[in-house]
Amino acid sequence: MKTQKKRNRGTAALLLLSLFLVAGCGGAPAADPTTAAAATTAAATTEAATEAAAESTTSSAAAATSAAASTTTAAAASATTTAATEAPASTAAASALADPALTGTQLNLYTWEGMFPQDILDGFTAETGIRINYVNFDYDETMLSKLETAQGGDYDLVIADDYIIETVIAEGLAQKLDTAKLKNYANIDPAYQKQFYDPNDEYTVPYGAGVQTIVYDPSAVGIEITGYADLWDPALANNLGLIGNFRVINGMALKVLGESYNTEDLGIIRAAGQKLLELAPNIRLIKDDQLEADLLSGEIGAGVMYTSQVFSAVVENPELRVVFPKEGIGFGVMAGFIPSKAPNAGAAYAFLDYILDAARGADCFLYLGYYSTNRAANEFIDVSLKDLLILPEGFNVNMEMIQNISDEATAEHDLVWTEFKTATGQN
Amino acid sequence: MRRDRRSRRVALLAVLPMYLFTLAFVIGPLAYMLVLSFMRRSGAWGVEADFTLRNYLHIGEPVFLATFWQSLRLAFATTALVTLIGYPFGYFMARLTPKWRNRCMILLIVPFWTSSLMRLYGWMIVFRANGALDRLLMWAGLTDRPLKLLYTYPAVVVGMVYALVPFMIYSVYSSAEKLDMGLLEAARDLGAPRSHAFLTVALPLTMPGVGSGLVLTFIPSMGLYFIADILGGNKVVLVGTLIQEQLMKVHDWPFAAALSVVLMALTSLFLFVYRRATHSGELEGLV
Repeated sequence: MKTQKKRNRGTAALLLLSLFLVAGCGGAPAADPTTAAAATTAAATTEAATEAAAESTTSSAAAATSAAASTTTAAAASATTTAATEAPASTAAASALADPALTGTQLNLYTWEGMFPQDILDGFTAETGIRINYVNFDYDETMLSKLETAQGGDYDLVIADDYIIETVIAEGLAQKLDTAKLKNYANIDPAYQKQFYDPNDEYTVPYGAGVQTIVYDPSAVGIEITGYADLWDPALANNLGLIGNFRVINGMALKVLGESYNTEDLGIIRAAGQKLLELAPNIRLIKDDQLEADLLSGEIGAGVMYTSQVFSAVVENPELRVVFPKEGIGFGVMAGFIPSKAPNAGAAYAFLDYILDAARGADCFLYLGYYSTNRAANEFIDVSLKDLLILPEGFNVNMEMIQNISDEATAEHDLVWTEFKTATGQN
Repeated sequence: MRRDRRSRRVALLAVLPMYLFTLAFVIGPLAYMLVLSFMRRSGAWGVEADFTLRNYLHIGEPVFLATFWQSLRLAFATTALVTLIGYPFGYFMARLTPKWRNRCMILLIVPFWTSSLMRLYGWMIVFRANGALDRLLMWAGLTDRPLKLLYTYPAVVVGMVYALVPFMIYSVYSSAEKLDMGLLEAARDLGAPRSHAFLTVALPLTMPGVGSGLVLTFIPSMGLYFIADILGGNKVVLVGTLIQEQLMKVHDWPFAAALSVVLMALTSLFLFVYRRATHSGELEGLV
């Protein structure tokens, strides 16, 4: 999961931009050649490219970015308005929480880019008088090292992935929450609480969950897919796309063998690797960004994707089928915590309470494209999108979260993964 | 005598910033990387400073060796194709009238005004199902259904050649431009057929340009892994891909450092062999 939302938009902007350039026959304004060179060397990642693009063709880039942004959220936005009009009542209560002592202070919010709709951020400032200083990171690990350097200070609220929060708490960089300060705390869906990273539910507030699911186009795939094992079917030859997350993909093979994602038994990981090699002929593509675009354009017939990608794909093409693999699902949670020496913890509580509100929570998940972790928000989510944003009752019976494992096991996973990728290149 | 010493001191002061810069931004990072490559990873993101050869031994795994081989193969294939396409281009460009030479040069430079990644996305538009190339083939009646052209090895090679061919053209051009046409005419006067005059006179005299073109193509092609990622759908695993993955996904910095050290050693080795083989101390266009 992680930065999907953000990256998707970045690449969408890039694609649009390149279209512009192709259509306009290279009428691009001049850029500093060193910028381009810097992009070439540093920029395997699309983010860097987006920056370079923004620098080189400022005006058109800005236009394209906003265009892309508006298309991705268009569907969500239209749904949001209907949900919002149905429920004006619940928002009134929250204004009571505006604490005059906090007015004029600043909330230092540290998370990925694009985690909240602008309305929510603006609304919070309007209602509480607290300015938001939105600082973003690309990777969880960046956040961890910044937080370590700041020794738990500098930021008031951090939203990140489960596995890194486990480390943050272990290093004593988070403070225990006083849930009495959160009036909307009861709105949280208990299914997402007391997970491995915060077993006693002392430090975190979940904000969105992601599962890796199979999504396929029935018209492009000759078989019915019900689980991971079906992906090995020869009918899918050269027609399958995967995200590039080695723990998730190796985990697929582990699940087919009936093992845990988090096994540290090198022999079992190796066996999963052997199983994975048999999948190679079916692989057309492995990538993290914009995988759903390849499904929509017909480059691939089936894919294993992140929640936000599945969400955008199905919103675009409702004919696509989403499968919760029968072998069990892996899921991850994003959660907010208050760093141990947060300069303005009061503002963090105010913001957490603000987004835990049912109607506003629904707006957030529609925007985010991740599964709702707010039970009260569920009724505000448009009926047509309920399946995509609310996990079915009892999903957590057959699920497992991917956790940190030993260095040796990680190295073995990496070896298996590289062998697998090399094998896919022999197609 | 005294003046001499003084001017030496002035000269030293003048180059000092460059020395410091090199020390801080070239030697420093290299030394850091070398030291890192002998350390052990620890925890989610960190490293532990105790000496180990594990990282280098780990590269001996067949799958990682295969990755080096894959990178070399792609680099050689790219360099060969770039030479085949770039040499005639550069050579004949130097034969044009100055006005057309300039126009050609501008056309070669214009693509660099856009980010190379955006140009790669352009290639995706060309290669994808029902994309430009697919439509052209179907229109010409050569195929009757959309092909799977994107995310294949040939697509990667096309992207690599496209990205690197300008460097060969510039190098050959700068050599061919200096070529004295009188020599070719003399060879022709003395009875050499056109092809013979080219092979014995023009080609040897433009070899320095080809040489620097080879270096300028080969070295980057060992590192341009993002082309393989984007046009090859991540299926063509190169050393660069591996390093990036070790850094960003596996979080094994020491192993990434060891891979980088070996990659750099390998590239330096090729450069050394090349210099030995050609006895060329300098590279045209590079110095």
